[in-house]
Order: sequence, then C-alpha cells, then structure tokens
Amino acid sequence: MNPSSEEKRFTIPIGPQHPALKEPGHFEFVVDGEIVESATVRLGYVHRGIEKAVESRTWTQNLYLLERICGICSHIHATAYCLGVEKLAGVIIPPRAQAIRTLVAELERIHSHLLWLGVAAHEAGFDALFMYSWRDRETVMDILENLTGNRVNYSANSLGGVKYDLNTRLEVAIREGLDFLEARTRHYLDVVTTDGLFLRRTQGIGSMTYEEALNTGVTGPTARASGVQRDLRIDSPYLAYRDTPLEWAVEREGDLRARFVVRIRELFESYRFIRVILDTLPAGDLVARMPRRIKAGEIVSRVEAPRGELFYFIKSDGGDKPARIKVRTPTLCNIASVTQLVIGQHLADVPMILVGIDPCFSCNDRTALIRGGEDDQLWDWARLRQYGIDHYRQEDDS
Amino acid sequence: MNEMLQTLIALLLFPTGLFLLVNGMIYEWIDRKLVARLQNRVGPPWYQPFADAVKLLANEEIIPAGVHRGLFFGLPIVGLAGALTSALYMPVAGLPPAYSFAGDLIVAVYLLSLLTLCLALAGANTRGQFSLIGATRTLTQLYSYEAPFLLALLGPAMAAGSWQISEIVAYSNDHWLIFSQPIGFVVVLIGLMGKLELSPFDTPEAETEIVAGALTEYSGRGLALFRLGQQVELVLGLTLVAAFYLGGVASPLAYVTKTLFLLLFIASLQTLMTRLRIDQTVGLWWRYGALLVLLQWLVIILIGGAK
Repeated sequence: MNPSSEEKRFTIPIGPQHPALKEPGHFEFVVDGEIVESATVRLGYVHRGIEKAVESRTWTQNLYLLERICGICSHIHATAYCLGVEKLAGVIIPPRAQAIRTLVAELERIHSHLLWLGVAAHEAGFDALFMYSWRDRETVMDILENLTGNRVNYSANSLGGVKYDLNTRLEVAIREGLDFLEARTRHYLDVVTTDGLFLRRTQGIGSMTYEEALNTGVTGPTARASGVQRDLRIDSPYLAYRDTPLEWAVEREGDLRARFVVRIRELFESYRFIRVILDTLPAGDLVARMPRRIKAGEIVSRVEAPRGELFYFIKSDGGDKPARIKVRTPTLCNIASVTQLVIGQHLADVPMILVGIDPCFSCNDRTALIRGGEDDQLWDWARLRQYGIDHYRQEDDS
Repeated sequence: MNEMLQTLIALLLFPTGLFLLVNGMIYEWIDRKLVARLQNRVGPPWYQPFADAVKLLANEEIIPAGVHRGLFFGLPIVGLAGALTSALYMPVAGLPPAYSFAGDLIVAVYLLSLLTLCLALAGANTRGQFSLIGATRTLTQLYSYEAPFLLALLGPAMAAGSWQISEIVAYSNDHWLIFSQPIGFVVVLIGLMGKLELSPFDTPEAETEIVAGALTEYSGRGLALFRLGQQVELVLGLTLVAAFYLGGVASPLAYVTKTLFLLLFIASLQTLMTRLRIDQTVGLWWRYGALLVLLQWLVIILIGGAK
C-alpha cells in the first residue's frame, strides 16, 4: 500500500456520544473518502450487572428488575421470565391471563415498530415522517397507559398471570385506536415504498443476502427482511399464539427498504391479531397460585421480542431466589452484522444501516470492556478495599 | 460630513448591519416555525433566534487544540462581513441598492459565497473528523450548485441586457420572469436551498452522520457569527430571487409578501424531502440542474434572437 492512499483513510468514531445514537455504543468506521472500508464495534458502556443482581432478589422482586432491562420492550422481558418460572413451577396460567399477556405484547410491538419507523426516518433526514409516526405512536401509548397505568414499564405481568383486566370501555378504546393506526400505517407503507427520494436512501442499501443472514445469525425483522423464515410466535408458539396462527411477514431483498416493509407488515399482523384476541377473549381468573419457592431445575424460555428472539436461561436450586438467570437480547445477535453490512457503503448511509437492525444497546451489555493498561480509573480489588476502609475510617473520625 | 453619515448609516443600520441582522433572525424564525407546523410540531417562540444569538455571543468560546488561532477567529468575521457587504448592492426591503456599478451582480453573488468558503475553511482548520468531512462536503456541494445557481441568475440578466442588479430589477419590475423563464426559477430556488444548506441539501451538516459538520468544533461567538451569516444569506437569497423572478420588489410591501411567499415554498420543500447523499447532490446538480439551465439559456437566446 503506498503512503498517499494510507493518508487518505481516516477513522470516524461514532459514539459513545453521537446524535445518531441515543444510547452509548462505540463504532469505528475506517473511510476512504465517503466509502466505508471497515468497521469495529465496542459495547459495554452501560453494563448494569442485572444478571448478578437477580441472584440476590426473590422470584417476585426479579420481575420488576428484569422488566427494566429494556425501556422499549419491557413487557416481553417480564413475559419471557414469567413463562420460564411458571414452567419450572409447573403452573399453568388461566386462559384470560394468557390472552391479556399476548395483547400487551402485541401492543408493545406496535409501539416499538412505530418508534423505530420514526428513528429510522430521522436518520435518513426525513423528519416529517419521524414527527408524524411518533405523533401516531401516542395512540398506542395511550392505550397501554389506560390498560396498565404506565407508558413504558407497564408491569402487566405477575408470576402466575397478569395484574390488569380488560373491560368493555377499554376494548372499545383499543378497537378505535387500532382503526386509526391501521389507516395511518397504510399511509406510511405507501410513503416508504413510493417516495422517490426516500427510496434513494433505502433501496439496495445495506443489503444482506439469505446466506449472509444465516451466517451472521441475525434474528427478528432483520432476518425476515432477508427471507429467513424465523419467528418464534410461529415456529414455537406460546401463550395465545398457539390458538391463532400468525402470518409470515417476510421479504426477500434484504436491503433497508425490505426492513421497513417487514416491520410495517408486522404492524398489520399485530392489528389483526389484537382484534382476534379481543373477539375471542376467554372469561375467567387472572392469576393462578404460585409457590414462593420454585422447584430446582433449569429451563430455557424463548419469546419473540419486537427486535427478534429473546432468550432466557433460568436455573433454580429450589430456593426463593434464582440460582442463575442468563439473558440474551436480540440486539446481541444482530449487532455484529452491522460491521459486515457497512463495508463498501457510503458514510451517509451508515447511521441508517446501524438503525436498520433496531439496536438496543443497554439491553445487550454484558461486560464492561476496558482498553489500555495504565488508567487511573482502573482499580484492582486491593485498592478498592483500601479505599473503602479509608473512607469509613474518615467518616468515623469526623 | 453628510456623505460620511450616509455611508455610516448604509454600513451599520440600513441596508446592511442592524436591519439585515434583525431581518435575518425574523426570517429564520419564520422558516423554523413553518417547518415545525408542517411537521405537526409546535415550533420555537418568536424570540428564539434572538435568544440563541445573545446566549451564544455571551458563551465562552472554546478553542480546540491544533487550530490556527487567527483563522479560527477571523473566518466567522470574514464570512459574516462578506454576506453583509453583498447587501449594499441589493434591493433590500424593496428600496434601491445603496451602491451600484456595472457587473455588481457577480460581485454580490460571490460575496455571498464567501460565507460558504469560510465555513469550509473553518471546518478544515480544525482537526476533528466530523469537521473535516463536513468541510469536504461543504466544498463539494459548493462546486455542484454554484455554477447552475449563477447561470440561473444570469437568465434575467440576459433578458434585461445588463449585469447590474439595479437595472435588472428595474426591468423585472415590469416583467414577471417566473413565467417566461420557469426553468431558471426552479433552478435558482433549489440552488438557494443548496446554498443555505437546507434540507434535503443539509448533507454538509447532517447531524445523524457528522454531528454539525464544519461547525462541530465551534462554540460561542464564532458559532453565533456563522449562524448570523447564514440568516443574512437567507434574506439576501430570497431578496435576489424575488427581485429577479417574481416581478421585482418595488416597495417594502412587495418585498415582504414576495419573500415570505418564497420562504413558505422553501419550507414546504424542506418538509417533503429526504436528505440527499453528497454523491446524489452532485449528480442532481450536474446531471439535471446544469442541463436545465443551459436549456433555459437556449430558449432565452432563441427568443431573444427572434425579437
């Protein structure tokens, strides 16, 4: 490589603080002019130690903690946890609770996908779509608030069932909201598939073939946009998905446009599915009795979060606290694909490709990575212990 | 003494100086408010640009490591001065230009471009990657829209048979050139949006990619001056287009209605469009913009020859 071409390359850091990323992650893109040549990703800025923290809380307390793993798909985390724990305990929850749990999960999918639509449009510089889709998203947020009292962490689940019941007034409100959203979503599908300028930023950009999708192990809408038929709600149905089959929302192209279309088609599926749930809502109890201690054993609980497959491993040693819980969020499967997708693309398309997988950084942080050796912020155990001793000694003195 | 006073007024109060700065801030607010309303947002209160300017001017200016200090402080001043100076040759607020000479159209347009050039140099002066990419994009965009923009402005000049702004305005007071040169009007308006780095031509400062582009490292006074310069440029650009294509700006009332109409038009376009990539911008201008202007010229020459 001659020196002149070496000089032309430089590295663009995106994150941990950058207007394109609302959460901290760090990407380094090596560019030649405007074309990206390679990319690396570094995570671990918001590691919260939740997996360790659950081991010192009871099964019920953990429900609240695990729901706070993700600020967008909070309900689905609690659902995955509840399904696993209930199975370990051998408890079957009442059909009405199953239906309401699924209903909230689908409402959450609607709010998550509409949120993504706005964010992705904003990355492309199409702020009108951003503002309108977020305005319409308020409809589903209002529904969730009316149902559960909360906009974000709904806390609808409890071990053995759900906490909130549906009534006729709510049912009418949900149906009205869905009608409005369906009309709006139809309009958005029209915009993202026909707006010429927008298509110039999405069509053929960040393409991932079927084989690449399989090799990088992506999940959720990102995989379905590349033609991979993978959706736990259909492959391995749980809750109310067992009774009513969903239809596939799969596109073949694998570019950004396909990711838009898949998510919007999933919205239509969610609207249809929620109506079916409301039509066939069984009567009965909301909770089944759960034991305080869960039988010893291990279980894997998988559900389809808005971003893809969410995986929980739960291990109990027979006590009132879990022995181990391992969470793998869909972003962890998808994020590595970004480093492949951006190569050869324009720098201007990078934020859209990045957002195209709908990343959720704080959910997938498992470790705090530390680079470099000598750092004043790097403390070993002995130093931390000494600091603690000195600190309390000072307090005692004063 | 009297002449001295007149010069001072022309430089400090009207047409350049205070009047133009205030006018720029008002138009900036109208633009932001219109875009906000079109996007179903509330938008900023009327005093927002004033508050921004006062706040930024009072803020501490952080000088990044590795910059040439003279350039860092000098460029915003030169850029703003260039934009303000060009107003001397323009029919600001519908009144005749303060100064006029043959060929002042070219001088005025290039004084306006000085701001863009200063912006790019300011970006290239710092060591930040975002600024450098922003500077590259600013210059690339400058080279793509500038020629079609100028050629489209020369259309009315050819029709009037003069390159002096006051004479072209006098000619267009009786002729609505938007009807006889519609292609030129479209090109000049889109060119103005490129010049002002408005959406969809905001690639040089695309916040989701390169934060604030060339201005990323600027804060405080430097940033305030650059922004004032851009606001002045907005007013002057609208004035020029209204004066040339929309039947002139013979009175302050005509000036206000015509420039505001153009602003509404620009705001709608900003709302409707997705940001273009820099290669798409260049392609758009050289593949369509330049050709359209040449076509317009051909029409003018053919019709002019037939007369």
